[in-house]
Formats: sequence, C-alpha cells, structure tokens
Amino acid sequence: MSKQETKPIELSLYKAHEKVYPREVKGRFQFKRKLAVWVLLGLFYLLPWISWAGEQAILFDLPQRRFHIFSLTLWPQDFIFLALMLIIAAFALFFFTALAGRLWCGFACPQTVWTEVFIWLEQLTEGNRHKRMKLDKAPWSTEKVLRKFSKQFLWITFALWTGFTFVGFFTPVKELAAHVWQWTLGPWESFWLFFYSLATYGNAGYLREQVCLYMCPYARFQSAMFDQETLIISYDEQRGEPRMRGKHRREADAPGDCIDCTLCVQVCPTGIDIRDGLQYECIACAACIDACDDVMEKSGMPKGLIKYTTENALVGKPTHLVRPRTLIYFIILMTLVSSFGIALVKRSSIDMNVIHDRNSFYRVVNANTIENVYTLKVMNKGESMTRYQVSASGIEGLTVVLGLNQTIIEAEPGQLVTVPIKIQADKKWANKKIHTIEVSVVKTNDDSDQATEKVKYFGYDK
Amino acid sequence: MTTQPIENNQAFNQRQLKRIFWRRMATVLWVSFFTAGVQSMVFFALFDPAYLGQLSVFAAEISRLQGYALGFVFFWAFTFSAALFSGLVLALPRTRLAKRNPNG
Repeated sequence: MSKQETKPIELSLYKAHEKVYPREVKGRFQFKRKLAVWVLLGLFYLLPWISWAGEQAILFDLPQRRFHIFSLTLWPQDFIFLALMLIIAAFALFFFTALAGRLWCGFACPQTVWTEVFIWLEQLTEGNRHKRMKLDKAPWSTEKVLRKFSKQFLWITFALWTGFTFVGFFTPVKELAAHVWQWTLGPWESFWLFFYSLATYGNAGYLREQVCLYMCPYARFQSAMFDQETLIISYDEQRGEPRMRGKHRREADAPGDCIDCTLCVQVCPTGIDIRDGLQYECIACAACIDACDDVMEKSGMPKGLIKYTTENALVGKPTHLVRPRTLIYFIILMTLVSSFGIALVKRSSIDMNVIHDRNSFYRVVNANTIENVYTLKVMNKGESMTRYQVSASGIEGLTVVLGLNQTIIEAEPGQLVTVPIKIQADKKWANKKIHTIEVSVVKTNDDSDQATEKVKYFGYDK
Repeated sequence: MTTQPIENNQAFNQRQLKRIFWRRMATVLWVSFFTAGVQSMVFFALFDPAYLGQLSVFAAEISRLQGYALGFVFFWAFTFSAALFSGLVLALPRTRLAKRNPNG
C-alpha cells in the first residue's frame, strides 16, 4: 500500500453556489405555466380590491378576530373550518403528487410563480441568457449600471407592491392605500409590508431554486408519495443514447436521437441535466420538454425524447391511474371535502354554552316549583345585531327566566353575551335526581337558525 | 465534487467547518420561524391575546396586534432555543465542529 492511499480524504460537502441563468423557452407546457402565473397572481393582486356587500370581499381582520370571505364571517369559534381546510389542502397535495408528481412545484407554488415573474423582469432589462451571462462577467460600464439599475427598480417596485397587497388581506386595502399615500402607516403595517416585500425580493430575485433545494419541507418528503406509476419528467435513454453532435454524429453508425444540444440544461431553472435521470432538484416545470420537442421537430425526429411518463412506462409496463395509493388519497380527500361542505352549510350563526351553577343543585322557589340556575353564554357569529329567545325542553312545563329582567338577549356581531338564567320546573315532573334537558337559543326573526345544548337538571327526589 | 487531502488544505477545511456552522444556524433559524408561525396561528385562534394580557402576572394592557407579535416572537425564541440545543447536541463532542480549533 502506498503512502498516498492512506491519507484521509474529505469530500467537499458544500460547493459554492453558482448562479443559474435559465434560457427562455416557449411551448405548450410553458404556455400553461404562464397561464398559471397570470391566474394565480391575478387573483392575489386583485382580490383585496373586490368589494362584497359594502365590505372588502376577503379580509382577514386580525384585530377584530374575524375573517370575512364574501358573505361568510368566520370567528375564532369556527377554527375547525380553518383546520379542515388545511387538512384538505394537505391531502389534495398528496393526491396530486401521487398522480402527477410535483405539479404543485412546477405550476402553483408561490416560490415558482414569483420567481417566474422576477426572471421575466430580468430578461426585460438584462436580455436573454447569453446576454445576462456576458453582462455579469463584463466590467462595470454605463450600460451595465443602467441595466442593473432598471432591473433593481422593477424588482423593488414589484416586491413593494406584493408586500402592500399581502398586508391588504389583513387591513382594509383602501385605507391602507390612503395610509401609504399620506405616509402615515402604523408600525405593524409598515413592518409586514417591508418584511413581505423583502421576502419576495430575496426569494424570487436571489434565492430562487435554493429555496426549493434547501428550505422547502415538501421537496424533502414528496418522494414518499411517488411510486412506479407516478407521472415524472424523464429522458428516454434507450432512444437518446449514444448522444452525439456535429462530426461525430455524421460519421457514427447508429447515433442516438439526442443531438447533445444541451438546450434542456440551459432552460432548466434549477440548473440540472435531466438526461442524468430523475433528480431531487427537478421541480417538474417541463421547460426541458418544450425545449427538446422544439429541437426534435427541427431535426425531423419524433417529439418526446424528454416527456411526461412513468417509470413503468419507461420499462414497457402498463400504468394505472387508479391504484390503491391514489384511490385511498382520493377517498380521504372526498370525505374531507364533503364533510367540510356539509359543516359549512349547517353552520349556525349562534354559538352557545350553558354552565350549571356550581353552588347549588336546585333551589326551592315555592311549594310546587324548583329551579336550577345556569350561566348562559351566547355569541353572535352573524353580520348584524340579533335578538334571541331562550327556551328549554325535556321536562313538562319548564319555564326559562332570564336574569337582569330581560325577556330577550341582544348581541352585536361578534359579541359574547353572558346571562344568568333560571329554569323552573314543577316538583311533580322534575322528580328524578338527574334529568337531561335541552336548552335552545333561537333568533327572534328566524327560527330556522338556532343552537341547542344538553345540560343536567337536578330534580326534587325526596 | 472535488476531493482534497485534509493535511494539505487546512484553509479548505476551515471553510467547510464555517459552512457547516452557518448552514446549521440558518436551518435552525428558518425551521423555528416556520413552526413559530404555525404555533401562533393555532394558539391565537384559540386564545385571545387581549385577555391573556389581563391574566398575566404583569396585568399588562396590550392590544391584540401587540399580543400576536409578542406571541410570535415568544414562540420563535423558544423554538429557536430548542432547535439550537438539538443542533449543538447533535454534533458529537469529538467531531471537529464542536472544537474551536478545527485541527485540534
């Protein structure tokens, strides 16, 4: 054994980051991606400006602790809806990943979508891939300063507008616009506006694919949803190899279909070579498919050297859309969606809570009557001031006496009203030790909207 | 990826150690930021910060927005500490990362 071989060797764990200059590409998948960018960002930037019944259609009003979503107002008591929605989102992600791989990453993820826009702005000011690379290498000149300055100007303007819109989902956007215009932003508004702008600027302008590589949790576990029948983007090695170009190609006996033009590498926003096989870095944006299809068409070869396919299809086995994995995800997803829908439709605008008085079981009112005392809490989850009546059932002849000489309860939207109530019963009927009765709170103007709770009633059993 | 003999390249090794350190720091910072966001969301959906302020030993008069912000910073700080602690403990004492002198 020579001395050379016994030396300890350390692998470079981290290589310095090299900037990726994605080349512009056109094609059917890139058209869909552009469409996704316009639709998603269009929704993001326009939604806060839409009014609904005199109020901002979508407003997550944190200081008032309520969410307005069109004619629906959600209070903290409706937390279950938020939780359900997040679980549905998670299962939708699992389902689509099992079916079609990283669709989310390539087409819908905010990181991808905003990065796309930032790359367009970069192209607009600094030119195409080749020009951008040249510009970065060139020494500082008037042209470079101008181009870099205009890029920064567009980036920063766009980032600030994004931060402003983001805050507009939490603060009435028209007031916010007035505050910005008069330079009277509050500390929280300014902080979030600038923080979100900075995050957009940094993530979409500089970090880009590194967010997917190093920061994203989904990228780490998405492969767990993959199987042999999941749609992936793959290079057809059998058909493409041996790749050759130029003179070698002309002189070779049987060259593969890959002409080694490296366009698939140049268009890749994460800077990988898809011909090396499926890689963790691939966000399934399909830019390489569009680039390669174009080249195949120009060289008179059939398209699809790089294409959406499955691992089974690559080895000639059949691919099934319906399989246990997708079926299970689908069933769970549909169950969640339908229970969400039912819960939303059946959602009452009243939230109530009845607590029995701790100090006594029952009180004797007169020779024939006893009463149990409770604390009733009623919350108005609707959008307008509402009056409520309280009734009780379960024992014959129950009467409800509201405290504080009230006959009805009034509550403003979002208000939680606490009222002591006495429920009186005849000794003759309330003769068991413990009864179960139902207390109902009903709107005075709409008896279909009501809430009911079961409580214990201590009877006269002597 | 380049492979280089340790003995001949101490500067390289030091750069690597620095990178490992900063990578761990950034990971801890980012993960705790992310989870603090989730924690704040769930916690404040269930508890109103305006009431919590009155219930605290300081009986502080805090607005809801201040409450949310304080809560978020609180969650972030504690999650950050927990993750940092995990990071420190994960590096075994004999590995070079735990020593000030990477060649010691």
